[in-house]
Amino acid sequence: MTALPIAGFLALSGGLLGIGVFGLLTRRNFILILIAVEVAMNATILNFVYFAAFAPSGGAGLSGQAIAVVLIGFAATEVAVGLAIVLALNRLKGTINVGQATELKE
Amino acid sequence: MSLEELAFLLLAAVAIGTAVAALLVRELVHTILWVSVFFVDLSAVYFLLNAPFLGVLQLGVYAGAVTVLLLFGIMVTRKRIFSKEAATGIGPVPLALAVVTFIFLVLALGQLPQGPTSVQSYDPAALSGALFGAYGPWLLLLGLIMLGGVSGAIYLVREGRE
Repeated sequence: MTALPIAGFLALSGGLLGIGVFGLLTRRNFILILIAVEVAMNATILNFVYFAAFAPSGGAGLSGQAIAVVLIGFAATEVAVGLAIVLALNRLKGTINVGQATELKE
Repeated sequence: MSLEELAFLLLAAVAIGTAVAALLVRELVHTILWVSVFFVDLSAVYFLLNAPFLGVLQLGVYAGAVTVLLLFGIMVTRKRIFSKEAATGIGPVPLALAVVTFIFLVLALGQLPQGPTSVQSYDPAALSGALFGAYGPWLLLLGLIMLGGVSGAIYLVREGRE
């Protein structure tokens, strides 16, 4: 039976969420924004896996891992849709800089 | 300090370092390289937490599929693959927001046990039993959302749309 500090794990996912939020707010390239969202999403998935591992009994822990599996699928779908938007934006504008995608503003 | 704690500290340092590097380097291809190291590192964290099925899923879906998909996205949207991004300065407001988010999350840690806690391990067979038993509707929902997402993606990129 291994033993690990739970607070350290939560600090790790907090840090990853901070990095993801920072990248989301500063980057202008659509692909970099997608990567920042992925980093933030991975921080949340990590949380589900910790609480599955640190749960006292069997049932609650299994639900954490099951939700993590579903979330990984959601994140993969999100990347596929995001890249479709990247391709459509590139065809329309010739660039993937989000600063130039202003159709919905007008 | 036990060997597992040492391994965790190492993996956490690599995760933070590669995530920062991925979002700060100028060349997009280098970003993908850093982020693939990040995904592999997270799968090692899952193995450390006795979740082997999730570790393999992370390797297959993230380090495999998502990385290749992002590389493909770069490949088809640029004339030259190795071209640098325009410099985007690190604004003070986003940095402050990210730091405040992090500090709030760390302050919330005070309620939790600080010492090492024992880690449960699960049989992957039990996990698959839960996935296709109690969590069957969630898996079905995931399938439907994936179907919807892929249909939407094909609609967005099909030829001749005006």
